Amino acid sequence: MGQITNSFLEAFKLIFSFDPELIEILYLSFEITIIAVLISSFIGIPLGTVLACTRFYFRKAIISIFFALMGLPPVVVGLFVYLIFSRSGTLGWMGLLYSPTVMIIAQIILITPIICCLTFQTIESVHLKYREFFQSFHIGRLKAVKAYIIDSRFELITVILAGFGRSISEVGAIIIVGGNIDHLTRVMTTAIALETSKGNLSLAMGLGIILLLVAVFVNVAMIFIKNKFLNPSNQDL
Amino acid sequence: MLKKNPNINITNLSYSINGKSLLNKISLDISGNGITVILGANGAGKTIFLKLLSGLINSDNGEIKTNSKDFSFRNSAMVFQEPIILRRSVLSNILFVIEKIQPHQKIMASELMDTLGLSGKDNQNAQTLSAGEKQRLSLARALITQPKILLLDEPTANIEPTSTIFIEKVLKRKSSSGTKIFFVTHDINQAKRLANDIIYLENGQVKEYSKGSIFFKKPTTLSAQKYISGIISDG
Repeated sequence: MGQITNSFLEAFKLIFSFDPELIEILYLSFEITIIAVLISSFIGIPLGTVLACTRFYFRKAIISIFFALMGLPPVVVGLFVYLIFSRSGTLGWMGLLYSPTVMIIAQIILITPIICCLTFQTIESVHLKYREFFQSFHIGRLKAVKAYIIDSRFELITVILAGFGRSISEVGAIIIVGGNIDHLTRVMTTAIALETSKGNLSLAMGLGIILLLVAVFVNVAMIFIKNKFLNPSNQDL
Repeated sequence: MLKKNPNINITNLSYSINGKSLLNKISLDISGNGITVILGANGAGKTIFLKLLSGLINSDNGEIKTNSKDFSFRNSAMVFQEPIILRRSVLSNILFVIEKIQPHQKIMASELMDTLGLSGKDNQNAQTLSAGEKQRLSLARALITQPKILLLDEPTANIEPTSTIFIEKVLKRKSSSGTKIFFVTHDINQAKRLANDIIYLENGQVKEYSKGSIFFKKPTTLSAQKYISGIISDG
């Protein structure tokens, strides 16, 4: 019990003294996560919208594949990306293994299906609701899609936040492709794993507290958006 | 003076889903003016008929023509039973259906809002309107396109009497200014108030098509007599 209390106290000291090591890890964690989420959103939101609004051969099969990909085991993704970017791999010549770039790539592979599928569900429900109305008023496809996105904007923000939450807490894939190298590829989750194994519980705990706060913040933000903007009785548009 | 619109000629209009016939060889010559009320029990084919007229679905057979020319669905606007309201302001909802908004259309939107009892609600979130106000908004949105044909599928089924009165008033005014109106309802009294002519459907077939006054006084078919007297349930 005493060890846990001490670890907590040490962790808070680290946080409030703005420990440079901690700050560096935090910075890299957020940098990788934000870039990965942005790229995944740029891919996943249009893809999910297209799948929701269009009809074509193998559409259902593609949707099923994307839903299956939501459950991708991170370590398998890590291994797959490792094999591709390792020296003998297809893209080994790029020399990206054990770099933040390859960590972002692994994150994108993991998050894009989540953002795509959640976008698909959101946009499809709006599309089914509006379809006959748009058809009866001869609303063009582009204008219709724009309306789907605008009218689902708050749901889409929660989709992005869900992707962010998934990404920031990821460890399996990025520890394989990033290698958890100090001052280069060490992020919150990989540092927690390492410091715990080393017995440096104060740093692990400090990072754990911050990670927990981030997770809580993301969930609170999602609940706030849901209550504030997705409640029909609310006045805000 | 009221402009006389050409009649709408419907010939052998049929529609089926998975081999089940929902409308069967409907042939009618409908006046291009006035309010045509479509009556019939649930499952009679009223909504399908309206959707065929609006171009939302395509018929298996048959054709709709006006003045020997193919019927243009672009001239029509539809109001649904459940108002579909976009997540934006009342005014934006009305203007959404216009391709390129002209200044006079903004004035027109404002006039329509006044007429339909929505004045002062321009910037209000349309989602926060009452059910009746939402349906009035749907009607305003349909009217701003200045349709030649207005199709309404039980628009007053789930709304309060005040909104029903607003809607009926506007429809009568629009009808007298030359807009052709097709109105589906289960409310016999409303049909009596509005109808210039009545189409009575049963099992996907037109059982009667006559002037409103004649239909309610002397329905020619037994099923129409039963429907009017409430023996054939519409609920």
